[in-house]
Amino acid sequence: MSGSGKKLLLVGDNPFHGISHLSEDRARARGSEINMPDFAAKLVQVSLENGADGFMFSVSETTLSILRTLRKNMDNNSPLLYAIVPYAYEYVRLATHLGTVGLARKVAKQVIFSANLRAVGAGLKCIITMDPKDILKAYLLYEVSRIRSAIGKSFSLESIMLHEVVTEMIIALNLDWLAKSYIKYVSDLGIKPGFETRNFAYLVDKFQEWGIDFKKIVITSAFNGAGFQMNPSKEICEAALTRVPESNVIAMSILASGYLKLPEAAQYSKSLSNIKGVVVGVSKEQHAYETFNFLREKFRD
Amino acid sequence: MSKLKVAIVGLGKMGLLHSSILGIIPNVEVVALCDKSFVLRRIAKKLFKRSAVVDDLEKLQNLSLDCAYVTAPIPAHFPIVNDLYSKISVSNVFVEKTLASSWNNADQLCALSEKNRGVNMVGYMKRFSVTFSKAKSLLEENILGELDSFRGSAYSSDFANINQASQGLSRGGVLSDLGSHIIDLALWFFGDFKVEDAVIKSSMNNSEDEVTFKVRGSNLTGEFDVSWCKENYRLPNFALTVHGDKGTLTVNDSNVIVESSGKKPLILYRPALNDNVPFLLGDPEYYREDEHFIKSILNGDSAEPSFRTASKVDYIIDKVKKEA
Repeated sequence: MSGSGKKLLLVGDNPFHGISHLSEDRARARGSEINMPDFAAKLVQVSLENGADGFMFSVSETTLSILRTLRKNMDNNSPLLYAIVPYAYEYVRLATHLGTVGLARKVAKQVIFSANLRAVGAGLKCIITMDPKDILKAYLLYEVSRIRSAIGKSFSLESIMLHEVVTEMIIALNLDWLAKSYIKYVSDLGIKPGFETRNFAYLVDKFQEWGIDFKKIVITSAFNGAGFQMNPSKEICEAALTRVPESNVIAMSILASGYLKLPEAAQYSKSLSNIKGVVVGVSKEQHAYETFNFLREKFRD
Repeated sequence: MSKLKVAIVGLGKMGLLHSSILGIIPNVEVVALCDKSFVLRRIAKKLFKRSAVVDDLEKLQNLSLDCAYVTAPIPAHFPIVNDLYSKISVSNVFVEKTLASSWNNADQLCALSEKNRGVNMVGYMKRFSVTFSKAKSLLEENILGELDSFRGSAYSSDFANINQASQGLSRGGVLSDLGSHIIDLALWFFGDFKVEDAVIKSSMNNSEDEVTFKVRGSNLTGEFDVSWCKENYRLPNFALTVHGDKGTLTVNDSNVIVESSGKKPLILYRPALNDNVPFLLGDPEYYREDEHFIKSILNGDSAEPSFRTASKVDYIIDKVKKEA
């Protein structure tokens, strides 16, 4: 995370996966071009050239292809990379086809047959122990190796974040030992551990109770003027944010999935002094150009 | 106040989802989890350190359970719910949709639940969506005048471009899996109807992948189109379009649109419909349905959709299969 106090601008990958929370019809109407890695990589590059500092993405074959293309096109000028794992949609779809046990077997095979020796070792250990800590470590090693193979040595991975489904289960089930084990393990890899959540206030309460150091982690959560996905309420999430000024919070859903306009979103995000950055998805080159120039001027500067 | 003791039967993704949400709802304690899978039980023992993790329903007998959630695959619902009532003496039961894999079995479970007099509910979570609830209240306000017809659709890409049968077919075919939600919504909106015409298509080995059928209610007609082989439906999409003499209402997971001649369309997006919940996991609907079930038990009220209400969906599914 930027230590200079400069606000971060990140381009997100939701449009590249065909996601529009405001209207599924709109996501389908975008056509298939946006799902093509070369086109998506171009959008990320235009965003980076116009003010974005980095790229936040779920780890999937689509986003790994985008990273490979970016690496080819961007010399050694590394964007800040924020990876979210697991790519929940892919795993839910696999569970639909294979059942939960079949999914576990498939992921175990992927880890064990990956070329990464540390991941293989960790994978074998987790099969023996069936300990969630070991399973998470083996899985993280596997995902980090996939990302590093795509980005090579010229780009660096700033943060790896747990997808909201995993984060919410950790806080709901009081799995402080799993959260702490994850934070230590990822930090030891030289990467900043992160958590994506749509229960920001609940997470802050739990992490404070568990004695987790907010300076050492990244949190991505919904913040927008409409209060959309700010659970349990906009006011309670804003109050929680004021309690953790030292935290590295990146605001997502700042446009409330397209319900709000960019000027309103920028103004609201800027009003939250403890927000360290924002992540926004773009679906067209012009959109990327306008969005990040606007955010650079109105949110960051 | 002592906490409600809950058991979860079936540790697939829905079992984990409900057990996590129940961990947040006040006055509830997940005291036991049950699954046949050795792998899932071993992992569950580490995640739920204060709960008993067992492989057999009979091992739930001495836990003085207040209620149980059945989140196993649909074909297992009937024997599990039957045993919960008759052998384990649980009186409050929540079952993930559909209630059973046939109307005959669903009807037997209704009779059992009525004999036990507890609270019972089936997980038709779309009733707890802010868009579908809003649409229902607009229709109750008579915004469309006299209703004439409707069209319901339920699409996903779960099995698009897949030509072989998979484990997922244990979900019971597209009618039970996706179609049940839109059938339940239509029954909730419009009341009972009769199936008149049905076509079932198969893309995989003897599976039920695409279904269309027509229905007739007391004052309106309807059409359904259900498929899990549609391209570009990354997430399941449920939609209803309703025609009345004053206009048309379209509702899906994202918005509600009302169009009347000579008037500007009324468009209500999900972010404007107060969609927040105390804890969000998956979709807000899951928290609301769990909260509704638990509050119904604590307050001694009945919950909706009850087994009896939900069994109408099993009835319609049986009729569609017979008509096709």
